[in-house]
This record gives sequence, C-alpha cells and structure tokens, in this order.
Amino acid sequence: MSNTLRSYLTAVRSTLTAALCLTNFPSQVVERHNKPEIEALSSLEVVLNPLTISRNENEQVLIEPSVNSIRISIKIKQADEIERILCHKFTRFMMLRAENFIILRRKPIPGYDISFLITNFHTEAMYKHKIVDFIIQFMEEVDKEISEMKLSLNSRARIVAESYLSQFA
Amino acid sequence: MSFTKHVNLQTNKYDNSLEPTALDATVVDFDGVVYRISTPTSKNVILFSLSWQCFPELVKWGVHGMLKKEYGPYFSAETENGYNFTLEFNLKVLPEAKEDREELVNKVSLIKRNLLAQPFERAFVQQRQFEDEKQPNPTPDLMQIQYREQEAIYIQAQHDRVTVIFSTLFKEETDRIIGRVFLQEFVDARRHPTIQNAPQVLYSNKEPPLEIRHLPELQSLGDNEEVGYVTFGHPVPSSLYKTRCKRGNHIPNPTLSRLPPLSYKMFKSLHAFENASTCTSFSESLE
Amino acid sequence: MSFRSIDIDAFDEERLSEKEIFEFSHSGGGEGIEQQSPEAVFASVQVKEVEARSLLQKGNAANALTIAIDNPPYGLDRDNAKELNAKIVMDVLNSVKTTDIPLIVKSLSSEQQDTLMKYIYRGMATPESSSSSAILLNWHEKLTEIAGVGCIVRVITDRKTV
Repeated sequence: MSNTLRSYLTAVRSTLTAALCLTNFPSQVVERHNKPEIEALSSLEVVLNPLTISRNENEQVLIEPSVNSIRISIKIKQADEIERILCHKFTRFMMLRAENFIILRRKPIPGYDISFLITNFHTEAMYKHKIVDFIIQFMEEVDKEISEMKLSLNSRARIVAESYLSQFA
Repeated sequence: MSFTKHVNLQTNKYDNSLEPTALDATVVDFDGVVYRISTPTSKNVILFSLSWQCFPELVKWGVHGMLKKEYGPYFSAETENGYNFTLEFNLKVLPEAKEDREELVNKVSLIKRNLLAQPFERAFVQQRQFEDEKQPNPTPDLMQIQYREQEAIYIQAQHDRVTVIFSTLFKEETDRIIGRVFLQEFVDARRHPTIQNAPQVLYSNKEPPLEIRHLPELQSLGDNEEVGYVTFGHPVPSSLYKTRCKRGNHIPNPTLSRLPPLSYKMFKSLHAFENASTCTSFSESLE
Repeated sequence: MSFRSIDIDAFDEERLSEKEIFEFSHSGGGEGIEQQSPEAVFASVQVKEVEARSLLQKGNAANALTIAIDNPPYGLDRDNAKELNAKIVMDVLNSVKTTDIPLIVKSLSSEQQDTLMKYIYRGMATPESSSSSAILLNWHEKLTEIAGVGCIVRVITDRKTV
C-alpha cells in the first residue's frame, strides 16, 4: 500500500470518527416528522460544515455532517474509459440494491460516484467503529475490484480473439 | 438463429408425411437481410426470396454466377417485387432421398454465407494469379461491400496476401470503448505461439488503413470517434488455398455468439449476491 | 418543489438565514475581526502576507505559520481575504520539511491547531489550488495525532469558516 493511500484512509477514518456524533433530532419545521437534516435541509442551523479529504483530483471523499445524519460521498479513481464504465456499472449495481447495504444512498451526489447516508438510527443500531471500518474497507476494496474486473475483461477479450483466430491456425 | 428457424420451416415442408400447406413468412436476419418464404400460386410451389442492401455490389463481383452454379435448377427467372432474387421450389420435382433433401435445405440456409463468400473467392482467385508466374498479374479490384447502413467490408487481393478490412461503427460510447478493448485484443492475441499462422490483424480507430484511405466517403467521415477499422491480412500459400475455402470452415464457433456481454465473474465478485446473475460463464468453461 | 414557483419555506419567520446563524454564534464577540469592513480585512491580510513571506525567506517556517494562521479572516462576504490567507498558509505548509511537522504542530496553541485544521480541510477541498494533497494529508495525520479527534469536531461545528 502506497504511503499516500495510507494517510488518505487515515484522514478519512479520523474525520468520520469525528463526524459520526449523531443524535435523534425531530424536524423543527414539520411536527411529528423526523428526517435526516442533511437531506431535508429544512433548518440551516443544524447542518454543519462539510469537509473534503482528497488524495488527488480523482480520488476524494466529501463528508457532510448534520445533527442527526451525515452524508459521505466518494469519488473513485478512474484512470481510463474502461475503468469509468466498470466503475459506473459497479456502483450502479450496488445502488440498485441499496436497501441491502442499509447505509447506501440510492443516488450519488453530483460529481461523486457513490454516496452513503448514515442517520442516528444507524448509529443506535450499529457500532460506530464498525461503520467507519465498513466505509474504509469499501474504499480499499472498490479500487481492487475495479482493477480485477478490468483484467478479467481483457483476458476475456483475449480468449474470444484467440478462439476466433485459432480457426485459421 | 434465424437460419435454424428457417431450416426447421423447410424441413417440415419437405417431410413426406405432411401435406403441403399455404405459407407466407417473412424472416429477418442480421445485417438487414430479409427472407420471404411464400406459396403465392399453389401449395406445391414455394418461393424463397432474399433482399439485402449490398446485393447490387455483390452482383458486380459475380454473385449471379455463384447462384446459378449452386442453386441453378431452382433459380427463378422472375424476382418477387421488393426482393433481390427468388428461388423457386416445386415440391413435386424435389430429390427423392431424405439425405438429398436435407442437403438442399442446408444449402439454402447457407445462402447468406454463400453470397458474402463470393467476393472473397474472387479475391483468392486473383491472388493465385499473382503467385502463378505463367499468367499475367491481374489488376485486383478493391471490392467494397456495404453490408450494413454505415459499415462495410473491403476486400483486395495483393501479391502475397488478401486484405480484408471491416469498418465498425459503435454508436454507444460504452460499446465503442468495450469494442475497442476486444478488437485490440485480436491484434495482441496473434502473438500467441499457437496461432502464429492466423492472419495478421491490425486495428485502428478513426484513421482508415492505407488501402482504403483514398476513398472519398471515408474522408468525409473526418475524425469520427465512433468509427474503427479492423484489417485482416490473409497470407494464403497456394497449397493451403483449397482447404481454406472449404465450405463451413468460416462458420464461426456457435459458442461465440452466445457470450454474454459482461462476464459472470464481474457480478459474482459482489459477494452479497451469489445468485445475482444466472448467465453462464464462457471463460470459466474454457479454463 | 418543482410544481411550486415560490419557495414558501423561505418566508417562514422561524427559519434562520446564514447571516443570522453567523451573528448569533458571535453575539459575545465584541470588537472582533468580523466587525471590520471586507476591505479592511483584506488589507490586514496583505500586511500579514508580506510579513509571513519575509519570515519564510529567512527559513523561519514555524513563525511564518503562526503569523499566517493568527487572526484569520472569517465571516461572510470576505472571499478575497479568505482566499489570500489560505494561499499564504498553503505556501507555508508546502515549504516545511516532513520531519519538522510534529515539532511545529506541538508548539501551536490549541486554538491555533484548530485554525490550522480548518486550513488543511480548505486546501483539500480545492486540490487544484494547492500543489499537492499528499503534503496536506501528512499534516492532517500529524495534527490529528497531536491535537486529537476533538480538533476535527471543532472544525465541523465552528461557524467561523475560513
């Protein structure tokens, strides 16, 4: 693991630990509603300063905290067109099944590839350090996954080409 | 796929136990090919017509001769309106033996392949003239077959090889990128020691290859990102020529057309959903 | 919202604007920098720039950093001053040797550490303006080790954004 990747993930980890201080907070605007304030944006005083952590222009994490929810958006590394397609397919596959991942948001924030929304109900039901671990692990795995898919796409193309050309050999 | 359907249709018709019935079916194939199988006059006479937009070009390269040779007795003088040519089968004068009939059905079902093979055969013949020192060198034509709206095959015989160029056009950006990966692999796969004898493959994006660069319609395309060119340079030693041209040698492996566009592995790696995709993996079955 | 032509929630008397929130969080502030006009703030940052750069040329990065992050411009409509100050801080951070970072961080007061953390996050939010995110990540790591996660929490909650 390269040095910048390690310090990048460390920075994300400590920022997430700091930002995941959530409490139950019913809406101030509509009675008997309880919504993630970072999404509803109904009262600005409970939305806190957003933070960005960046490794370079193509790899960034945006953390938007509020009193009862935080939104984490990840920009995944995409070196070339193939990686862009694979990344799109991969994140789309996950987001179509967002309910299985509990904290996954169905749509990413514009400019990012995938977003998570964590509310106080999640932190009440799950360990905070495990949630942080999950996000970090996701970031580690997704790069690996995409480069593996790229390799398998190439080897697949190779097999097709070889089995076609071997008819002439 | 439509071939199979087509063959089934015809086998049924030739089955002695079945009575001839009235029939009017239109079948479409890849590359804008349309077949029509009908019995307009009597139940015993089946007309088989084909339309293909590149047919006039194929006529230029002598496809009529091939049709007369292969399908001679059935070639109809009259052509159905809206089609390029018509074959006529009178059920009463068909061959008796079952094998012969199946052979005939097979032959009809290969008609698209035979049509497209004609310019290739012509190029192979011309190339052989280059090899043969007794004959004068021919002036080989650059044969263009616009087999799809915006895609064409270019065939030209040269003194030591036959060059075949396919122009490819992918409209979708995703198709274009994945297409480029696959076509590029053709170039790289040839370095594999077991297939060194395969034709030389070149792939270029946007830029037409030298052989067809002068064509005005290609220059007007400019640098259209969507267009690519695959060149097969086929060196044909004359000893191999006969076997190469044997029928069926160029019919592709049926598994290839059944490949899903993205591998099962890609989905399988998402461990949360083991049964997310049920399509079988081609690459795994090969391993 | 698309079917409405007016955002009626904006007319809610209970709803606080950004300005009101900012002023509320400084009600006890008195004669702070937020009372000055944007032009005056920009001028004072320019003075700081000269001072910090001359210290930087002498190789005194630690003092240059203290000057750069002391009394930072914050508040609304002071983007010019904020940008200039951020640029000074980035230049100072980029010129410090990696091995000196812990020493410098330790010499800062708790408030200065918070301000430095704000600038680090600001630098990462606009990667094209800072030369390298790797250096900022390095600073971030050392600063979190010394000042703790509380420092980040204060950056998140403080309305005095830089």
